[in-house]
Amino acid sequence: MLDYSLEDTIIAVSTPPGRGGIGLVRLSGDSALSIALKIFRPKKAGARVFPGRVLLGNLVDPEREESFEEAYLIHFRAPHSYTTQSVVELSCHGSPAVLEEVLRLGTRLGARLARPGEFTLRAYLGGRIDALQAEAVDDLIRAPNSEAARKAFGHLDGGLSSKMAGLRRRLVEILGLIEAAIEFPDEKLSVSPGKIGAGLEEMAGYLDTLIASYDAGRALLEGVTLAIVGRTNVGKSTLFNALLGHERAIVTPFPGTTRDFLREKIRIKDIDFNLVDLAGLRLAESSVEEEGIRRSREIAAQADGILFLFDASKKGLEEDLGFLEEFRDKKAILVFNKIDLGRKPDLRKFRTRLGRRPCLEISALRGTNLERLKSSIYKAFSPRIADGGDVIFHLRQKLALEDMRNRLRLAKRLLSDGHPEEFYVEEIREIVPALGRFLGEIRSEEVLADIFSRFCVGK
Amino acid sequence: MSPSPLDVYDVVVVGAGHAGCEAAWAASGMGLRTCLVTIHLETIAQMSCNPAVGGLAKGHLVREIDALGGIMGLMADQTGIQFRLLNRSRGGAVQAPRAQCDKAQYRTAMKNKLEKVPNLTIFQGIVADILIENGRAGGVVLLDGSRIFGKTVILTPGTFLNGLIHIGLASYPAGRANEPASRDLGDNLKKRGLLSFRLKTGTPMRLDKNTIDWTRFEPQPGDDVPVPFSFRTKIRLENKVLCYTGYTNAKTHEVIRANLDKSPLFQGKISGIGPRYCPSIEDKVVKFPHHLRHQFFLEPEGLDTAETYVNGISSSLPFETQIAVLKTIPGLDRAKIMRPAYAIEYDAADPTLLFPTLESRVTGNLYLAGQINGTSGYEEAAAQGIMAGINAALKILGKPPFILRRDEAYIGVLIDDLVSRGIEEPYRLFTSRAEYRLNLRIDNADQRLLKYGREFGLIATDDFLAFEEKAKRIAAAFSYLETAKIVVDGKEKIALRDYLKKPDIRLRNMLEYHQNLAALTDEEVRHIEAEIKYEGYLKKQSKEIAKVLKIDGLKIPETLELSEVHGLTREAVEKMKKYRPRTVGDIKKIPGLTPSDVFSVYVHLAARKKKHLGKGDIVPRGTFDHAE
Repeated sequence: MLDYSLEDTIIAVSTPPGRGGIGLVRLSGDSALSIALKIFRPKKAGARVFPGRVLLGNLVDPEREESFEEAYLIHFRAPHSYTTQSVVELSCHGSPAVLEEVLRLGTRLGARLARPGEFTLRAYLGGRIDALQAEAVDDLIRAPNSEAARKAFGHLDGGLSSKMAGLRRRLVEILGLIEAAIEFPDEKLSVSPGKIGAGLEEMAGYLDTLIASYDAGRALLEGVTLAIVGRTNVGKSTLFNALLGHERAIVTPFPGTTRDFLREKIRIKDIDFNLVDLAGLRLAESSVEEEGIRRSREIAAQADGILFLFDASKKGLEEDLGFLEEFRDKKAILVFNKIDLGRKPDLRKFRTRLGRRPCLEISALRGTNLERLKSSIYKAFSPRIADGGDVIFHLRQKLALEDMRNRLRLAKRLLSDGHPEEFYVEEIREIVPALGRFLGEIRSEEVLADIFSRFCVGK
Repeated sequence: MSPSPLDVYDVVVVGAGHAGCEAAWAASGMGLRTCLVTIHLETIAQMSCNPAVGGLAKGHLVREIDALGGIMGLMADQTGIQFRLLNRSRGGAVQAPRAQCDKAQYRTAMKNKLEKVPNLTIFQGIVADILIENGRAGGVVLLDGSRIFGKTVILTPGTFLNGLIHIGLASYPAGRANEPASRDLGDNLKKRGLLSFRLKTGTPMRLDKNTIDWTRFEPQPGDDVPVPFSFRTKIRLENKVLCYTGYTNAKTHEVIRANLDKSPLFQGKISGIGPRYCPSIEDKVVKFPHHLRHQFFLEPEGLDTAETYVNGISSSLPFETQIAVLKTIPGLDRAKIMRPAYAIEYDAADPTLLFPTLESRVTGNLYLAGQINGTSGYEEAAAQGIMAGINAALKILGKPPFILRRDEAYIGVLIDDLVSRGIEEPYRLFTSRAEYRLNLRIDNADQRLLKYGREFGLIATDDFLAFEEKAKRIAAAFSYLETAKIVVDGKEKIALRDYLKKPDIRLRNMLEYHQNLAALTDEEVRHIEAEIKYEGYLKKQSKEIAKVLKIDGLKIPETLELSEVHGLTREAVEKMKKYRPRTVGDIKKIPGLTPSDVFSVYVHLAARKKKHLGKGDIVPRGTFDHAE
């Protein structure tokens, strides 16, 4: 209990989980600025941080000195901040991969992952807001959630809880076995290191599957991101509009019309898909277009899947196939558009280069085969959750599970390296309460803590 | 000097078992006039059950008692007849000494030791009641009506309060086999609202060693180099006896099953709650039907007696059944029982009605220690005894009380478990009950606690100087291990200290190659090795501890209006008004408050301060006042 120490510097992503234009990482605590400055390099050499002023820079992994993201840094000096402590906000692109990397580096440099609602708790403790206001923040965050998602979440979460409770029982069992051998050395209680190691590995394996289910879970909750990719003028925006059912993107006969990306949600059966219309791939003719193309590639690379568009009315596919190469490892549907203008290329000739991916001929303009495309999309990209398979939805869960899994593996390593029992038992002993926290079973600070535990992390 | 009605002692200790002896030793050692009252002078420090001291967690406790200036360790070393350091194959944190003791010698040694204390009066008498005035204890009344006045009273009655012995379906009142139970004291304490539970424990039969076929059992020798309990033991320890191990068998279990109708336990005659970790043999047979055999140990009760303790076959079956059980075990088939096994029920108090000083919340100036608080075990009793003795003395001396934290001693874990969580069965300490097990070791008990023993005047100057010498040797060894390098695999040069972190590298194997380490004793080698091997965990945990201490040390201002604290229930407000905690840590120790109450106050204080906890707010020990 009372692990809400104000001493630690805490870190969390403050924007909603998933992809977005912007992703905000917030740090609060005495070392907020010093930790941030270890991974932030101002663009302008010698630029200094002024409280309340925005500074542009690169984010780097200090071990490799290689920048992986561009971000704005804003520092709020204590007590003039949300939490009344020293606060740093890093405004990055809303890419889960980038944000996770920032969290990873931040925690490695000494910050602790914020517990749900902990920023608001600190604001409350700092006398900045009262308890009612604190609750209101929570309500605001929660309001837009769709009822269906919440139900699905609750349903799936229940099954998961019981499995995790089972995992906890097994852990306690193993602990009991080892502890008994330690406490009663004369009783010749046999603890087989092989068996214990196998038990630990099995549990770690189960956690691996759960951790891997995060992508599906996130897709289920927030939608599957699909990027429409292809050369310029193959009709990406036309398809985007056609799938959407209204004229969202500007369509012209001129190649390179779409320079920035557009993002819209469509629903196929019970799944949301976030369609992203990207700038066409070609040798850029201006620096603005070049930037657009660079971003397109990046977004496509991070999408859950792509719709790769060809112009079926044109003969040469060489250039298209060259671009397709870039997405070799991506789940994709190959869409041959403009069949209303005739079918020029012989697809059989390209079969091997196209890979074993679903191919479809459509006319976005006329609406030919659009329904078939939709069911292909659903079939290919909707998150697959095996019957009875468990899914996690939140980064917080993923990170908590990763922590447990890593401890299990560390315990197993200590065991196989020949360290005595009391050593690796320390790791297992840490997992039991962590599991309890994950399950929300240990609600030691019911009244106020309950208010705060209902927050999303980071707000 | 017998106690006369005119005498007023500072401390009156009732009961001279393991708790009472330590309490009397500590209080008198702190300069207070102390009277130790016991039913039989012959049974001072009697080992009622097994003839051994120590074991996992228990050996840890003895070391801690020793570092505080207690005497259990010295006595066990002096009267030990076989010594073993348990868990030698594991690391230092879970190693603990255990010794078979000569029971008669242990009694005599303890009695002689206490008799030599000038300001300690030892008196034979049966206490019938405590004198209470204005809710505070002021002495005791003996069975004959005479009184012994004391500013404080420490009750350590063991299993004697309304003790009831069961052998088969027969039962008779007794505090220990054939010794009178304390019925008056039990009834009077109950009337005063001091007793709440009925507990049960048991002890196995004692056999005549001349009737055992020893060839049938596997001998279990002591260590080649015995490890003493006490930092102050200077005599050479010697193994004088062997213990033996054996097993029950299918026939044994058959006999037990056939006679369960005569077991008071299974016939519902015993209402007291027994310990799960120390079950009777009939319990084991019923609860683990798939176990084909159960291990037991044959342990001599002393050098000058034929009595042999059968560790693992405690029972409350009838005497005839006990004989029938032995007949099924090759080697014991002709063994003669000198004392039958029995179960005993006794009254105990609810430990959550105690302050962490072991002073009763019901009656001021009254301290409870040992089995009356629901514990089992000599060591658990002795640990409470010394803490009660020290705290009674501190209260009289007008000094702040002495409370050990969970992170600094097993004694802290034990007492905190008792007073804040209470008990559901006789409580035994385990190393796994400690959050910071890797730091609570036998090899650093002196580092952790000797300073307190010194402060209370219970550690002699010579012993303290020896400790300081030892600390110097250890520091020198550490700095050597940091600077001296070793070449590993013919290329990499690493400090010995880092090299020692590998699980299979042992410091004792290095000694002969390094002159600078030659002076280290075995004890010091174990200490250094543990510190190095556990270093990563120890560092992490000490950070955690510092964090908690900071929160616990947050002071509660006198002016705090409790009714303004958001989220506090009315009961919580009333409890806090009663106990008047001075820090957040103190609130945690108030029984009946939920963690959320503590949290509410913490949040309120932190918000009120509108700044974060400043440095220097740490309160080193509990800041609870003695009860008024």
